Amino acid sequence: MTHTTSRRTALAAGLVAATLAAAAGCSGATRNTAGSGSATDAGARELTPVTAPAKGELAGADWLLEDEPDSLDLDTQGSSAGRVVLTNVCERLYQLQPDMSTKPFLAEKAETPDDKTLVLTLRDGVTFHDGTPMTADDVLWSLERHADPDMEQGDEFGNVAAMKKTGDRRITITFKAPDAMFFKALAGDAGIVWNKEQVEKAGKDFGTPGQPDACTGPYALGGWKSGDSITIERYDAYWGEKPLTKKVTFRWATDSALVNALTTGAADGAYAESPNTASALDGKKGIEQHYGPSTASLVLIPTERGGLKDPKVRRALSLALDRKGIAASGYGGMVQPWGTPVGSGAWGYEKPVFEAAQKDIAYAPAGPTADDLAAAEELVKDAGADAATPIVIGTDASQGRTVVANAVRAALQRIGLKGQIKTVPTAQFEQFYSDPEIRGEIDVLVGDWYISKADPMGFYDNALSDSSNNWVGFKDEAYDAKVKQALGTLDDAARAKLAVEVQKTFTDAAVWISVAQVPSVLVLNEKLTGPPASMAYLYYPWAAELGAKKG
Amino acid sequence: MLARTSRRLAGLLATLLAASFVIFAAVYAAPGDPAVFLAGGRDKLTPEKLELVRAQYHLDEPLVVQYGRWLGDCLQFDLGRSFKYSDQVADLLTARFPTTLALVAYATVLFVVLGVGAGVLAAVRRGTWIDSAVVGGTTLAASVPSFVSAIALVALFGVQLGWFPVTGSGEGFTGTLHHLTLPALALALGALALISRVTRQAMADAGAADHVEVARASGIPEREIVLRHVLRNALGPIVTMCGLVMAGMLAGTVVVETAFGISGIGSLLVGAINTHDFPVAQAVLLLMVTGYIVVTTLVDLVHPLLDPRVKEAAA
Repeated sequence: MTHTTSRRTALAAGLVAATLAAAAGCSGATRNTAGSGSATDAGARELTPVTAPAKGELAGADWLLEDEPDSLDLDTQGSSAGRVVLTNVCERLYQLQPDMSTKPFLAEKAETPDDKTLVLTLRDGVTFHDGTPMTADDVLWSLERHADPDMEQGDEFGNVAAMKKTGDRRITITFKAPDAMFFKALAGDAGIVWNKEQVEKAGKDFGTPGQPDACTGPYALGGWKSGDSITIERYDAYWGEKPLTKKVTFRWATDSALVNALTTGAADGAYAESPNTASALDGKKGIEQHYGPSTASLVLIPTERGGLKDPKVRRALSLALDRKGIAASGYGGMVQPWGTPVGSGAWGYEKPVFEAAQKDIAYAPAGPTADDLAAAEELVKDAGADAATPIVIGTDASQGRTVVANAVRAALQRIGLKGQIKTVPTAQFEQFYSDPEIRGEIDVLVGDWYISKADPMGFYDNALSDSSNNWVGFKDEAYDAKVKQALGTLDDAARAKLAVEVQKTFTDAAVWISVAQVPSVLVLNEKLTGPPASMAYLYYPWAAELGAKKG
Repeated sequence: MLARTSRRLAGLLATLLAASFVIFAAVYAAPGDPAVFLAGGRDKLTPEKLELVRAQYHLDEPLVVQYGRWLGDCLQFDLGRSFKYSDQVADLLTARFPTTLALVAYATVLFVVLGVGAGVLAAVRRGTWIDSAVVGGTTLAASVPSFVSAIALVALFGVQLGWFPVTGSGEGFTGTLHHLTLPALALALGALALISRVTRQAMADAGAADHVEVARASGIPEREIVLRHVLRNALGPIVTMCGLVMAGMLAGTVVVETAFGISGIGSLLVGAINTHDFPVAQAVLLLMVTGYIVVTTLVDLVHPLLDPRVKEAAA
């Protein structure tokens, strides 16, 4: 994967987005949308997975997280703050690349003699940070730890029949049914290789402040002062390429404190988790922002209450929604109008196929044209929708979600229906996702979603008839069969074709209504460069690429 | 004396016990479901997984059983492990408490020196423009909420002028002082009006006493009168007020810590309440209650030493 080709794909992605925006905006009908005033035109923002390679060494860098990691044991607590640190310290059997593709990594070779067998040959010469070599026993023990149902990644092993050591450097995994997602999971937290001895020695305290790490990566954990900072230091006996930056110190701050630290140069960089942080830092002196593809999206999720039970009404709402206005006034132009529930960072293979399919998504204009609105009204009439009972929109009071909720209400009004907003405190908001009883008070949730695997099929099982995330009760036997078929198809080209068909069924029925894709944002001191800008920063040793622009 | 001390101690323990139950019940009753935060990610919120998590953390038991479990561990000096951080609660507290303590101590020094100073000045120059300026200025300072003054201070002295760091709590004595100056100032500003008013009033009351008139008549220099007779007699209410304000500050650092990105027990508490981290919320709140009780008890003990009249009444 060379630098130029990834640039080219990104450029193409940018072009696609631009064409989409242009196609949506050339209707000639004047509409009352929020002007994109100072906001950057989201459609024109180019998403690039990588930054220019670094040339110079750095003695140290100060990095900011949005929160202190819960724990550095990703099996028990998988928070993204912990992942941003640990991905430079720990390595996985497969590795997610900056362009979101995956390749075997600590397993130097992966073979599938048949669809239900995976044979991993482990890399030689890899040592843990305590100097001991990585063995097949460590790998097998790590996989078994991940597979424990009490652990974060337990559900990734649902199709695994057995895992065995079949040689000095060989692990063989057999499956009850073929599972294409398992390979992606091995590039995530289900593929981390722990040093068995270290983890067992630390016991319950593994991953807490004051404990050493148990990994093989380019950096070793220097120390974690609870409530103050975490440092990682270059590991000199690393088997791969030596990083340019000797030491990275992590601190954490939220909202204005984070923005101030980056503005004053107290910190060199951060991955901004929220689009609003990114827009506050837009155009500040001495800072550069890099936007990369991510799988994250803003979505409207219809619920059990049933106000949006009829797919025609959902389609109408999707047609009438002003996505461009939401992006501009809710998120400072940091998000892009989007028609599928997963961002372009999920295209980890067969990118051209998914790009082409994205152009064909129906019922999701960036800004509704007069024709769209007419079609939407027709759909509502067809459905014989009840215009008297209000459709209740669930949200919390955050800036972005408030704007989305109001845009939904406006869209409903446009198609002759009534919307009513129900706002809950942030601490309660998450319960909409977990508690059907609380969801029973709303018809549609102003939500967001991301998937940890770079594969759209990692999402579409959410609309299976028996999925607990299929709140609105979408039921389609053909859809169910195709999702299961795709999940069991190991061949990328064949799976992409099926995924596009599944996606079309999903978006045509507007099971969820997609609003925008949320790019991943890297904020960096202008003298530095190197780390990926894409969502790969959660699973790729980004600090190993960090360095000065000038050698 | 012994009987009084043991009565005091018993009262203290009873207060703590009652407080611990009230706190536990309050955190338990707060809206939101702790299991949601423990399940790890939205794609994992299946009913089965939530059930598993609830059992793992004993969240499926009734309130009283959960409280009993916590109390039993607590009596064995085990504050448990945090739900959110897998770390021991005691370790989390030891790491963060010094920061908050330093912040409160620094703020206390600031408001005592500035507040009492301003109050004395206003009392001595009563009815002049200086008096009005002190009263007006401190009232203005008190009417600005601490998060507003925090943000204003950061914007001006941190971001614009770059004199002070904008986040963190610093290393070593001078580093800590440098990092905590703005947050301590933001914390102290609100207390200035109260302390200077109390000082001014107490000085006025003490100044109206007969023996002060006698001293003035006998030609003792004014400076000495103010220091030896007026201020000394006014110390009782001033010290009491300073103690109460400081005790209150222990529980009031939350806003300032968040604005300045300081990891103290204030920000720890907010996070714990938002994620229903029972063991941490419980421990932090109890620590705050204990701090409050200790400070107010100390004030009670010091009071008679300052004012002979109180001592006589107690005897």
